[in-house]
Amino acid sequence: MLKATVDILRSYSQAEPRCVMGNVAIARGAIEAGVQGVFAYPGTPSTEISEVFKHVDAYLTDPGANPNQDGIAVHELYFEYSINEKIALEKAIAFAVASQRAMCVMKNVGMNVASDALMSIPYQTFAGALVIVLCDDPGCHSSSNEQDSRWWGTMASVPVLNPATPQEAKELTQQAFSLSEAIHLPVIVRSTTRVSHARGMVIYGELPGSGPAPAYDRVPEHINIPSRNTGAHQALLARIARPEVQASLQRCTRKLVEASTSRAVICSGITVAYLLELHAASAGQTGVSILEIQMVHPFPESEVLAFLRNGYDQVLVLEELDPIVENNIRLIAQKHGMSVDVFGKGFSGLTSAGEYSLDLVAKALHSFSGAPVESGIPLPAWEAMCKNLPPRPPALCSGCPHRATFYLLKLAMPRENRELVLCGDIGCFGLGALPPLKMIDTINHMGMSISMAQGLSTALARERKSWKTVALVGDGTFFHSGLASLVNAVYTRANVLVVIFDNRTIGMTGHQSHPGAARRLPKYREIELAPMLKGLGIEMVETINPFELREGMQRLNRAMQHEGVSVVIAQSPCIFLPEFKEGMPYRRRIAVDPKRCNSCGNHEDLSLSCSRRQSPSGNLVRARAKLMAPKAIAGERQLCPANICNHGFFFAIRDGDYRSAIEIVRDKMLFARTCGDICHRPCELFAGMPDKVPVKALKKFVSGIDEHFFDFSIPIARAEQAAKSNWRVAIVGAGPAGLSAAYDLLQAGYSVDVFERRHEAGGMVIAAIPGFRMDKQGFRFEAGQLEAMGARFHFGKSLGSELELSELAAQWDAVVLALGQWRPATLPVLQKLNGQGPRVDAVHFLERFNEGLDTGIPDGDLLVVGGGNSAIDAARAARKLFPSRRVVVSCLEREEEMPAFAEEIAHARNEGVEIWADTMLARCEASQTLHVTLNRYSSGEAVAAFTVGGIISAIGQQVCFEDLGGPEAAWWDGHGRLDPEALRREYPNVFVAGDLCSGTHRSVIGAIASGKRAANSIRRHLENYPYAYEGEQTFVRLCEDSTKTNVRSLVNGKEAGAPVYEEAVLPQDWTTRMEFFNLFQSCMKCNHCIENFGCPAMVMRNGKVVIDDNACTLCGLCIDVCPNDAIRWVAIETEEELTLT
Amino acid sequence: MRNGAERCKIMIAGVGGQGIVYLSNLIVEAAVASGISASVSEIHGLSQRSGIVTSGIGLGEHCTGFLARASVDLLFGLEALETQRCLPWLHRNSSVVFCNHRLLPHAVNARTAEYPDPGQLARYLQNHCREVVCIDTRQLLIDTIRLNLFCLGVATRLAQFPLETVAIEQALARTSTERNLEKSLEVFRQGMECERNPTCL
Repeated sequence: MLKATVDILRSYSQAEPRCVMGNVAIARGAIEAGVQGVFAYPGTPSTEISEVFKHVDAYLTDPGANPNQDGIAVHELYFEYSINEKIALEKAIAFAVASQRAMCVMKNVGMNVASDALMSIPYQTFAGALVIVLCDDPGCHSSSNEQDSRWWGTMASVPVLNPATPQEAKELTQQAFSLSEAIHLPVIVRSTTRVSHARGMVIYGELPGSGPAPAYDRVPEHINIPSRNTGAHQALLARIARPEVQASLQRCTRKLVEASTSRAVICSGITVAYLLELHAASAGQTGVSILEIQMVHPFPESEVLAFLRNGYDQVLVLEELDPIVENNIRLIAQKHGMSVDVFGKGFSGLTSAGEYSLDLVAKALHSFSGAPVESGIPLPAWEAMCKNLPPRPPALCSGCPHRATFYLLKLAMPRENRELVLCGDIGCFGLGALPPLKMIDTINHMGMSISMAQGLSTALARERKSWKTVALVGDGTFFHSGLASLVNAVYTRANVLVVIFDNRTIGMTGHQSHPGAARRLPKYREIELAPMLKGLGIEMVETINPFELREGMQRLNRAMQHEGVSVVIAQSPCIFLPEFKEGMPYRRRIAVDPKRCNSCGNHEDLSLSCSRRQSPSGNLVRARAKLMAPKAIAGERQLCPANICNHGFFFAIRDGDYRSAIEIVRDKMLFARTCGDICHRPCELFAGMPDKVPVKALKKFVSGIDEHFFDFSIPIARAEQAAKSNWRVAIVGAGPAGLSAAYDLLQAGYSVDVFERRHEAGGMVIAAIPGFRMDKQGFRFEAGQLEAMGARFHFGKSLGSELELSELAAQWDAVVLALGQWRPATLPVLQKLNGQGPRVDAVHFLERFNEGLDTGIPDGDLLVVGGGNSAIDAARAARKLFPSRRVVVSCLEREEEMPAFAEEIAHARNEGVEIWADTMLARCEASQTLHVTLNRYSSGEAVAAFTVGGIISAIGQQVCFEDLGGPEAAWWDGHGRLDPEALRREYPNVFVAGDLCSGTHRSVIGAIASGKRAANSIRRHLENYPYAYEGEQTFVRLCEDSTKTNVRSLVNGKEAGAPVYEEAVLPQDWTTRMEFFNLFQSCMKCNHCIENFGCPAMVMRNGKVVIDDNACTLCGLCIDVCPNDAIRWVAIETEEELTLT
Repeated sequence: MRNGAERCKIMIAGVGGQGIVYLSNLIVEAAVASGISASVSEIHGLSQRSGIVTSGIGLGEHCTGFLARASVDLLFGLEALETQRCLPWLHRNSSVVFCNHRLLPHAVNARTAEYPDPGQLARYLQNHCREVVCIDTRQLLIDTIRLNLFCLGVATRLAQFPLETVAIEQALARTSTERNLEKSLEVFRQGMECERNPTCL
């Protein structure tokens, strides 16, 4: 930069060619013209002009710092970036009033802001010179419109010069200064993107000596008052007709090519360069004369008239944007009665919109003159190769603080909320409107955001109260034109949130300073935003660091809720500022753990159905939970023995997607509603902490929505669409274990037959669980879906009578035995009563209770013997049947050791059941009545003796050994259950599930898990299925724990010393309470960072996110963004994970 | 010009951050020092923001940096997708230095668009253009930041390359800091010797 600055400040006595940008040429032209003051507001494509002066200013401020002073001949020069174009032009006018040579630089739309100044100064006067450089942007490469700045000449009656090449840009700038000085009017130099940003050969010449000394002349023209202005207007018209202007018009109307035909091209601006190139390429064979018009206002009428009179009767006019030259030529022809055909807009694809190109001009020239167009032979079928190429829109830089702020907004302001309008503004951060951020609803002209937000707020408030409008504005834009609008918002008591994206610079145009960020330049004084805003009377002004997501969210939410004007200043430096690198981690990089990125934490077999929806909003919920939920629970702490994806289930509900939630349950098992009723929720109990996600209560809630519950089409479709195998499986026993095995096998394409002893499916669930604990119809619906999925049911078939094990094993590819335990165990003390007294078994009693039949129990109080769930169920059923009778439960165990689930015991007690733990039935005498004596089991002392009407025995269930080879068979495990390994030594294709199976947990979820495991074993046995049962670990834990007394209490709901964990009923405010939790687990359907964050340093490779170290700026935000916790800091050398404090 | 032509149109295409503007400056510097007029047209308003950057260079009198369809004599394609986007500007006599380097745009990462196969493009270019060198950047043991200089070195082997090698080396010396010069020259020369380099397809 220094080299270029020294070069531009050096005087060359001999012409020196340089290849420089048009904008640099304009700056050099101004310097060669002796410019003394430059005022600008940055804006593409004009910025490089003022940037030259920024560097010149820095150099001149401290020339001693640079030893190389050879040939530096520039005089004193003032430069400033004013806060907007209006101030810039006003100060430039003042400079000219003070007899100085001033220049004001801006982009096309800048003049809309500054035009008040432009329109009034021509009526007045100045002693110096004033050149205004306006850079237009045909094609809108970087502007909000294509306005044609040449019109300002007509509007303000000032000369407009329009260069075609960098060299012309330099020459015309110089000429503009001398003309302005001569006629005391501003002169506009109008460039376009292709002139400003093209580089071409420019001749550097000599620099002048010092310019005019500053002076102020007290003349009446400095006072603009209405009574003088009609006269001033006439004086203005006279000034623009002065000889100096006429001389310029002559000089600026150039005949470039003279052909001996009657066809001519009149052109202005960049089209001149295109034409000359085409002319040269065709070796001068275009057959047209070419006239260039460099001054478009006032129009060179006599020059063009003289040119036309050379006998041209066909004229092609080439100018971008509006037909200004064209209309003037038509006017001249009409005025002077000439018959000239004018070809312009509308001819051969020439329009007022968009920019012209070499191709377009070549085509127009060819259509006009018939001259051949020189060009190469295009590649064959390139159109097909270029079809549907992925777009590459610009994106915010990696590490950009604006992305951090947008991400915060994304978390705080859900896009689904249509009553939240985000009004954006001009600047880098406008890229936030593009995917994946998409956090802007409106962008208008510069500074409009705050006005839009307050206007919308006022208008919409009349319709509904819940609308909230938010203005998003960059720091530079805020000072440019947002501040005045904010004052208006305060003044009119608007209800808006203004978010100022304060990246400490004007980023878009190359990092210029502004009043809020001028610390680095002693020349300017910084104005601190927060105190200034508070000074305006804004009560809520929050300054946040957007990289501190948690803190940022909280403050943003606070500001959102504020009624009235609130301002959030999101302050963090642009990555191109030196401050960005301060405190950057050293010898560290950011890495993604592929095991956690887009991987399923739940299963290995990714072909298994997963109903979690891949949705950016769903992932956003997970990301929000990661940041904001006070309670983070790792997914592996709340696992289900049936391997239901609890985290997917939880987040589907948090996302309000209840349908997906129930489908996620059904991905793994049939009994969503039943589990919602009676699961003893080991997932919650395993979590082993007071706060856990109330999975069971949520399941009850979700499966209680009939619309979703009774629509079983998805699993049915899954079974229908499964690749069908020829394997046939017989399942004996239609309890939850057998049915669960059937459910999984049907979905794997198996043919399934279910044999059941009873007259309906359901086993113990239907028979023994009392109807007041669960929805039996719901269960029947769920079980019934298996038929729709293709299972065939055979009722009234039992092993040992209609079915024979050896035959089954021989006839079917695989067999599942899920017979359950149906034979009640009996106490010796009760055996004496055999046949004599009113003693019933609990299961028998419950079956009759459930079916509404007479239970056969005579009058009088009831004693239930046993401490398990059946005992409690029977006791509760008895209380419901006989509300006036006393019901006593007697069991050997101390209460905390009772096998029944704690909450069931609690329910029973609430319903009036007496629980006599640690007691044994010592004696039982039957006569007319039944007299029982209970002793303390631990000490043997007598406790009570009383008379009862009947005894319900619930001391456990046993297998019917006779059904399966008798009690002597080799496969019994010594605890009265069937050892599957021993059985398979005899029958390799027979598998066991449910209560019959050795070691399984006697619970609904235990039965389901064991059925699933049996299905998995069959698949591995028959089709070499490579994966173990997914829920194995949790299932084993469940079964093992139930055999150990000390943990049995935990599994059954009795945490040592802790109060009974309450049956989870969702509280009123449960949706809010859900926000308390983050149940995190890595998820296959994530892609959150790509879909919601979109840092360019993140690329997808083989379905995993990878950080491109070349693009990463080490901002580290992605680490907080990843809901899977897959991204971390690692040491560069060792790749070891690091914790940063 | 070295190749005896009066005019030469060069196009450089890639993604912001690949050193496209530097490469075009270097070519211009070398050309001007060799007494050849040079013009450039660049579109890079958002180059630092991972957008597309293309630079057109015109060498010779009345030869602007603006590019017409089927007018580019020499293309530097520093990124595969952006090279493919340049096909309309090539003609049957074009020479191409093509890198199969892939920088995935967001749409590809988000799986809403597919990245075209660079191998297919390489074969297409080899079949239809005059002289094509395809560089397999995966095999290249240079800093990706200097891929531009490597390509320039490769280009010097092309019959249509308009500049003398020595002019480029001098231009490099004028535009580099001392610290960088040695490394830059090394990479440039590595490119010049690419025929013996197995990384070139």
